[in-house]
Amino acid sequence: MLKLGNLFGRSPVAPLQHHLAKVSECVSLLRPLFEAVKVRDEKRVVELIQEISKAEYAADLMKKDLRAKLPRSLFLSIDRNTILDILSLQDSIADQAEDVAVLTSFRLIEMSPAVEPLFADFFNKNLNTFRLVEKVISELDELLEASFIGVEAEHVGKLIHAVEKEEYETDLAQAALLRQLYKESDQLPYASFYHWQQTIRALSGISNLSEKLAHQMRSTLEL
Amino acid sequence: MDSTTVLILLTLFFAFYMAWNIGANDVSNAMGTSVGSGALKMWQAVALAAILEFCGAFFFGSYVSETMQTGIINPEYFASEPLTLVYGMISALIAAGVWLQIATFFGWPVSTTHAIVGALIGFGAVVGGAEAIHWSHIGLISFSWVLSPLGGGVMAFLIFTWVRNLIFHAEHPLEAAIRLTPWLTFFTVAVLTGIVLCKGLRGVEMAPHEVIFWCLIAGGLMALTCRAYAHRIRPNRSLHTTAPPIDPRLKVSLEKARQHLMKALDVSSDEFLRDRLDWMIEEIEQVNGPVVQRPESETAREFEVVERIFGYLQVITACFMAFVHGANDVANAVGPAAAAIDILFTGNVSSSGILPYWMLLLGGGGIVIGLATWGWRVMYTIGHKITSLTPSRGFSAEFGTATAVAIASALGMPISTTHTLVGAVLGVGLARGIGSINLIVLKDIVISWFVTIPAGAGIAVCCFYLVQTLFG
Repeated sequence: MLKLGNLFGRSPVAPLQHHLAKVSECVSLLRPLFEAVKVRDEKRVVELIQEISKAEYAADLMKKDLRAKLPRSLFLSIDRNTILDILSLQDSIADQAEDVAVLTSFRLIEMSPAVEPLFADFFNKNLNTFRLVEKVISELDELLEASFIGVEAEHVGKLIHAVEKEEYETDLAQAALLRQLYKESDQLPYASFYHWQQTIRALSGISNLSEKLAHQMRSTLEL
Repeated sequence: MDSTTVLILLTLFFAFYMAWNIGANDVSNAMGTSVGSGALKMWQAVALAAILEFCGAFFFGSYVSETMQTGIINPEYFASEPLTLVYGMISALIAAGVWLQIATFFGWPVSTTHAIVGALIGFGAVVGGAEAIHWSHIGLISFSWVLSPLGGGVMAFLIFTWVRNLIFHAEHPLEAAIRLTPWLTFFTVAVLTGIVLCKGLRGVEMAPHEVIFWCLIAGGLMALTCRAYAHRIRPNRSLHTTAPPIDPRLKVSLEKARQHLMKALDVSSDEFLRDRLDWMIEEIEQVNGPVVQRPESETAREFEVVERIFGYLQVITACFMAFVHGANDVANAVGPAAAAIDILFTGNVSSSGILPYWMLLLGGGGIVIGLATWGWRVMYTIGHKITSLTPSRGFSAEFGTATAVAIASALGMPISTTHTLVGAVLGVGLARGIGSINLIVLKDIVISWFVTIPAGAGIAVCCFYLVQTLFG
């Protein structure tokens, strides 16, 4: 007998959300990491870097597993390539978080009193952008139920716009931070200056990738 | 006991066996979708299915049964040796039953309709020759096999797009649902009642204006009850109590268990074992709780109530599905048997098949007993796998299927309800209603068209020579 049960495949939404939860673990560990850097607790820094690496590896495995479970014979409500792009971007965010973590192991950055608040602002805004895009992905269940139109799609559209706005703010904060660093560049040893540049670039990757992720989500909506 | 009595008993036995098979395997596809979405409880689904399948078979099943009885094999051709036709009909029933058993044992997909039609063609063509078969009818029937999934799909797509735009696109989906589902109910019930009544039911002739009258009455009544029901549904505040926090070590152990089960699933090939492993994995996932714990948004609660309101509509369409399924499939068992019985009672062939009502009773009864003894178990297994078919989607797919099967039954075309349902589900999927659909099932359907017919034909020919040797 034709088994009607075989007609339905696993919805792609749940695995995507699980993967993002793992990525969120990576990103969340950055906050305690930079606190440890501030108080110069080297042992704790090493611990946290290891945890972030482990979480990133786990996210990698989940990504491979999900890709393997998306055969071409599945007819999906979200375009298959869009799902793969979303997955790719989510994984890149985890990679980016790991890059930031590894960078802190090279040199413990020193912050002058002028730089400290600017850095805190920049750091928070980056993580905020990620939190906002997390909210977008968490709405996937309701989007599927509403089949991607209507009030729910508009609501998600607003959330996506919030991500874009926050990313713009992050860019402004980045410029302000860099401006201050350049002002202090004569007092900083070259290695520190270069390390700052790398760290800032890596951190801004998180907000940039979050914005790209939000844009991918927009392409699923029928507004 | 003379050979005529033996032949009569054999015919009735195999007809009952076919009907039992239909009840055991096919009915679950008709009602299972409602169990999966939670619109009906198991016992409600089984009870409704039993009553409606029987009524459909008895009151609406005569058209398709007459096609199976005299529409495929030309009885006139066997006027000189009527017993050959009797042997043929019995062998067709045996062949279809045997092929169904073989296919079920190996887990192959097969349709009762295709099996019996193939068997009849096999016997007719090989034993009788080309003139013994109404080839134009065969052409029409094959056409209907392709058209019914397509038609069901198109209708399901249209209905779901309608639901989507009217309710999910609205400013306040819940208000829209409460306001609009009575109209949707009216439309559904009126259209389906119209198709079922258009040729009149057994023993009841209806003039066109009478049909319209009854459609409007039925539609109106169901719409009013829907309105009363919808107004009484309120969001259940305590629906999602947050689960108590789980010991992290327990979570880790459960996750390990889940991964081991997934490995076992990869390695195992036995169908039933895979089903049970799937079930166990889902149970663990439910206990472990979703990784993403977030508070239920307002929208999610609202959609939940919308779905509960659609549950009402889904039950209505499920009832119609069971009814028309009984009508269309009872013919597989009763049609050929009626032809044989006719000859055995009267001694000669008649081309105007008058289907005795007690045969429809036998067919309907067989289906109910098949459902009660085995079919409910299959429904249970299907139910928990179709959870992604929420009531709004289930309603759309079932409406498309019921309409297509109803039209086919009124026209006397024997079609496969399951294939039509697959087409309808695909239609809903095209309107972005379903997360993911496995298109490999389409391959199964096409195989069913090209493998079941020759297989049924081949076995029928063998059975015929066997039966002829035994009784000739």
